[in-house]
Amino acid sequence: MINHYLVLSAALFAIGTFGVLARRNLLIILMSVEIMLNGVNVALLAFARTFGSTHGQVFVLMVMGVAAAEVSIGLAILIAVFRNRKTVDTGDLKSLQG
Amino acid sequence: MKRGRGPETAAAVGENRVSIDPVFAAAGGISLVAALGVVSLRSPVHAAISMLVAFLGLAVVYLRLGAPFLAAIHVLVYTGAILVLFLFVIMMLNLKPDELGVEYPLKTRALIALLCGGLFALLALPLWQDNRSLETPTPPGFGGVETVGTALFNDYALAFELISVLIMVAVFGGVLLAKRKL
Repeated sequence: MINHYLVLSAALFAIGTFGVLARRNLLIILMSVEIMLNGVNVALLAFARTFGSTHGQVFVLMVMGVAAAEVSIGLAILIAVFRNRKTVDTGDLKSLQG
Repeated sequence: MKRGRGPETAAAVGENRVSIDPVFAAAGGISLVAALGVVSLRSPVHAAISMLVAFLGLAVVYLRLGAPFLAAIHVLVYTGAILVLFLFVIMMLNLKPDELGVEYPLKTRALIALLCGGLFALLALPLWQDNRSLETPTPPGFGGVETVGTALFNDYALAFELISVLIMVAVFGGVLLAKRKL
């Protein structure tokens, strides 16, 4: 049944959301975004299997490309932040707060 | 293609709860527990290893969904590239335990956990009603390199090119951001 896979997808998305909101370590936040993207991929593949269509699988490839680009930029920003501020804690990054 | 959802739907609802694929249950359960580990472990190295387990479990789920090519790409891209990038950055930063920062107080985290539980319920309750079968016949070669590649380079050639532009921009941006001075 497709609903088992869809509920797994929703659970992964919710867990990733929790990681993004509740953690303050930038590394963990980036990992949580990856978990969310993977949750979406599971749903896309489940629908692709149900409808017997390859188009969902192509879209999963796109999501993987975006995830790779996002992680490389995110980690580069993290390195730049750590070099200037000596911290990876989002609570310490307040210079835009006014 | 429209699928008939007439009298056989009622029978499908009846046997809904009993038929859960054991391989899917094991792999999905492992990846769920590992995903919880990613968001709850304090050390980034432990979280990264937990993420490795979650991704390998998800690769098995992808195989169960008839996508062997994407399962292979998933292992290559996520555990091969993204996870190694994470571990490389963790090694480069070499954070001491007191440099990991302070987390939010337990009360705040419990509140956020409650909100995320609500989000899960909101997403999962309607999705649970969807009782379409995964046993539908698929076209020959479904999920293989040939069918995915044909769709990618015919119907989605423009999207493919745009992804290549995006990755090129990401390469430039990564170099610019991480380099101390050009």
